[in-house]
Amino acid sequence: MTLRTTLRRYGGAAAVVAGLASPVAAGDIVWARYGDIDSLDPHRATSTLSLQVWSLMYDTLLATDADGLPVPHFAKSWEANADGTEYTFSLQEGVMCHDGTPLDANDVKYTIDTAFDESAPSLTKGSWGPITGAEVVDPLTIKLTLETPFVALIPFLADSFSSIICDSNGEGFGTTTAIGSGPWKLVSWTKGDRIVLEKNPDYKNFGKLAENPGAPHEDGLIITVVPEPQARLAALKTGEVHIAEPPFDDVPMIKDEGDLSIIVAENTGQNVFWEFAVHRPPFNDVRARLAVAHATDAAAAISLIYGDLSIQENCPVSRGVFGNDQDFCAQYRPAYDPEKSKALLAELGYSASNPLETALLVWTGGNRQKLGEVFQAQLAEVGIKATIEIMDIGSLNARVRQENETTTGTTGSMDMMTWSWYDPDILYALWHTPGAYRGYTSPELDAMLDETRVLTDLDARKAKVQEVFKYLLENAIHVPLYTPGWEWVFAVRPEVEGFFVAPFVYPNFSDVKLGG
Amino acid sequence: MWRFLGTRIAMGALTIWITTILVTLLIHAVPGDPVQIMYAQSQGTTPEQIEEVRRSLGLDRPIPVQYAMYVERLLQGDLGHTIRGGQPVLEVIIQRLPNTLLLACAAMFIAILIGVPIGFLAAYREGTLTDIALMIIAIAGISMPHFWLGLMLLFFFALELGWLPVSGNGWLNLVLPALTLGLSNAAIFARLTRSSMIDVMSQDYVQTAFAKGLPKALVLRRHVLRAGLLPVVTMMGLQFAFMMGGAIVVENIFSWNGVGRMAVEAIFQRDYPIIQGFILTFSVVVVFVAIAIDALYAVLDPRIRRS
Amino acid sequence: MSMSAQQDAPKAPPGFLRRLLRSPSGAIGLGIVLLLLFFAIFAEMLAPYNPNKMGAGGRFLPPGGKHLLGTDEFGRDMFSRILFGSRITLLIGAVAVGISLTIGMAVGMIAAFRRGWIEAILMRSTDVLFSFTETLIALSFVAVLGPSLQNAGIAVGVAGIPFYARTCYAAALVETSKPYFEASISAGARPARLVMVHLLPNVLPTMIVVATLGVSTAILAAAGLSFLGLGAQPPTSEWGYMLAGSRDYINRAPWLMTIPGIAIAITVLGFNLLGDGLRTSLDPVERK
Repeated sequence: MTLRTTLRRYGGAAAVVAGLASPVAAGDIVWARYGDIDSLDPHRATSTLSLQVWSLMYDTLLATDADGLPVPHFAKSWEANADGTEYTFSLQEGVMCHDGTPLDANDVKYTIDTAFDESAPSLTKGSWGPITGAEVVDPLTIKLTLETPFVALIPFLADSFSSIICDSNGEGFGTTTAIGSGPWKLVSWTKGDRIVLEKNPDYKNFGKLAENPGAPHEDGLIITVVPEPQARLAALKTGEVHIAEPPFDDVPMIKDEGDLSIIVAENTGQNVFWEFAVHRPPFNDVRARLAVAHATDAAAAISLIYGDLSIQENCPVSRGVFGNDQDFCAQYRPAYDPEKSKALLAELGYSASNPLETALLVWTGGNRQKLGEVFQAQLAEVGIKATIEIMDIGSLNARVRQENETTTGTTGSMDMMTWSWYDPDILYALWHTPGAYRGYTSPELDAMLDETRVLTDLDARKAKVQEVFKYLLENAIHVPLYTPGWEWVFAVRPEVEGFFVAPFVYPNFSDVKLGG
Repeated sequence: MWRFLGTRIAMGALTIWITTILVTLLIHAVPGDPVQIMYAQSQGTTPEQIEEVRRSLGLDRPIPVQYAMYVERLLQGDLGHTIRGGQPVLEVIIQRLPNTLLLACAAMFIAILIGVPIGFLAAYREGTLTDIALMIIAIAGISMPHFWLGLMLLFFFALELGWLPVSGNGWLNLVLPALTLGLSNAAIFARLTRSSMIDVMSQDYVQTAFAKGLPKALVLRRHVLRAGLLPVVTMMGLQFAFMMGGAIVVENIFSWNGVGRMAVEAIFQRDYPIIQGFILTFSVVVVFVAIAIDALYAVLDPRIRRS
Repeated sequence: MSMSAQQDAPKAPPGFLRRLLRSPSGAIGLGIVLLLLFFAIFAEMLAPYNPNKMGAGGRFLPPGGKHLLGTDEFGRDMFSRILFGSRITLLIGAVAVGISLTIGMAVGMIAAFRRGWIEAILMRSTDVLFSFTETLIALSFVAVLGPSLQNAGIAVGVAGIPFYARTCYAAALVETSKPYFEASISAGARPARLVMVHLLPNVLPTMIVVATLGVSTAILAAAGLSFLGLGAQPPTSEWGYMLAGSRDYINRAPWLMTIPGIAIAITVLGFNLLGDGLRTSLDPVERK
């Protein structure tokens, strides 16, 4: 035993015995992440960090199976009318909200009404589809009426964006209180520091992937914010934290050491892509966009930063999502071709003395800053001068929109945007007028996207979706880079059993047992 | 003494007042439309909502009116709401301010505990090898970037040796950040104490005391120490302000949940209400501490007390 | 006549350089600063690789061999990055101190010269600004204007104004409060001449020392901002920024953290020692 390990063991033990370390109760699971949620209200945020927590506190009508497909959960069955404009859901009995009030059709109606509230609509209102009404037929039956058919409704109801909010929520909802019906209930949220959850003893699992049919095994779940990857790793090693994302560069070393196990989420549906501010030069010209795309060697870049933990993605929606076909997309995706890139730039009139200048917006975390630097260097090779700007995801969303709405100026803006979705309907949200970020739109694209929402025949829909892919790829509107992209790697301590990550990166703690 | 303190308090009030003005103007110094920048983060914000926010913040009114509105809200304890999650800024700050104060005080304690005796020793043995050695250490201490020191300490004590936890808010977590801040400033106190003591010891009345044959320890205690410490006390106010500033970086390194970390996050998130609240809080704290220390100084310095 | 007065004025009597070199801190400090200047000026010639070239070598190569100081996570040569970093560091220090010095001295001297209510306003304003501390002022600046190296430099410069103003004011006051000074003004002496012949000579030695010491503070402050991500942006090889990036690789490549830190420390040390040395050699009265 080396001196270092000796000192470690006895020093650490002494500290703990002295009772000076932070108190964590025996039956608490501790999960450390690099950032905090934006809100406890499912209508007020879109970050994965927020989503993951909502999936623990709230229930949804449907759940997702291991392949990422929707299955019954709170809604035990449903039927649609012939047009696809009315959906009637039968709900499970005896489900309770965290405050003891029953969870029933009224809560579903409340959730939908608040999502569509004109004075403060949900941030993801568009993804609910063209819902015109929610009717409580009886406490266990709810009917949704849509203006036009919307095939992506069913998958949406399995995702945490459609979390059912109990109608007993009042003031302080979203910031200090949050009453749901999920396996974990809120004890407190200290912004920027931690969320403390305790188990919901009355929980019934009808359709979620966990084997546990009821309340979680452990008493509490503490979700802490530890922005530094090295700090998370150290905390994992000392046992302060049970589950956390490790520093990417240390993953091979962790695997070698063997104490911590590495879990890589599958079926993440995450897509990282280039998009551009298309309403002004230089990126209003497709050639400039293609020049950037041809200068980008995504495979090399992610191999450098993520090793084998991530792969290049060719389609605008990622592997595991309906419509994805790597070979198909490879035909249309602008390939890595620096010479072609330089030719296009020359055609546009750029040269060494007059380089194409652009801001390169990247959001914090996940080594994206480093990745941005690699891309910056790749762009520099063809003579594009990119200035990296790092900001958190919320600021990025706002900034991208702002850039899209700016029509003056000659410095371009491009960003490495990330979206995770379980259905190609995300492309509708992104690229159908007006567009999530007010970016590129065209009547041609709108028509195609409209059709993808209503085609009920799977093959026909797939063909249409792939038409959309082709359009986006050839015009370099949405240039896919890689998948997965964020928070998909977990390092887990040996005493943790039963931890798994459900599709679309929803960690599940219901089965977790903390061994000795 | 009271006139002295009175002036100080007046100055403090002036400082805080000017801070409120600057903080109000801050939003307007931002290039672009501030409301757009702030609230565009919430993707679903409708143009009506943005106008509503503009109206409620008074940003569509002339600046003096805005200022009046701001002060009015301030006096009611309303520092606005965060853009992310809409929490009251005052609450967010109050949750984290004690942590920063704790860190700054602990660091101050360490800095004085280590710095002053070293400075004193160096002064006592002026010109000898001890003096030179200590001053070399001091100047090295001043030159070292405190964030580097923090990283090194984190590396050795938390990662390599695992003696101390890496993140969290318990007492044990305070050790490394406080040491980082404290050690960097100890050097300043050491140099200051040394030059101050040397000054005093060269004064006529001290020399006379030595010449009279009074025991060295007695002279030191009764005359030198008190007089020599006065400049140190004056500097304490300033040093505390520096520590508050240094805490911003140190909190980031150690994930210490104080207002410094909050401020940096807010800057990346362009969450201006928090930034404004932070600046105001910082000023208020620094002013208060400065006045408190000045009061202490007034008590200690007979010249001031008597006047 | 004013020419010779100017020549005498800012520099102390001949032998100043000799005195500076005789004090160990002065000599060492001067040596370090000159060395840094050399690196900064001749960085292109001295650097074996382009500092921004990724893959100049394998990733995470430890110091030694072809890469004197090793390589970073992108395979960029550390030695080249440190060299170019010295240029950035000195530039930022110069810009920041330049701003602080010019504006600070102007404020301080005007206040000491004019006296009366101008003096009161100027000095009270600097008192107020002073309590804001450099970090806060710098942070506010960057919060408003956005992170960039230039903004960090300007921010640090502006943040330093109060200190320089106060020091200059105190030094100038020594002269302006003397009876002959006021007499000269009422006698109709030209202000410019008074400033050049009487004020500046007394103020300059102190300000030179303050500026030299100030460079080290400015460098530390700018590095701190870059460390937080509020200053230098990629791919700039600014030392504070390099330190920030090294955090992820503490285990794997500790030299990425130690080397930029040592570079900053030595630079700062150099200016501190030089400042100390200047203080003793320029001002014969004050002796340590």
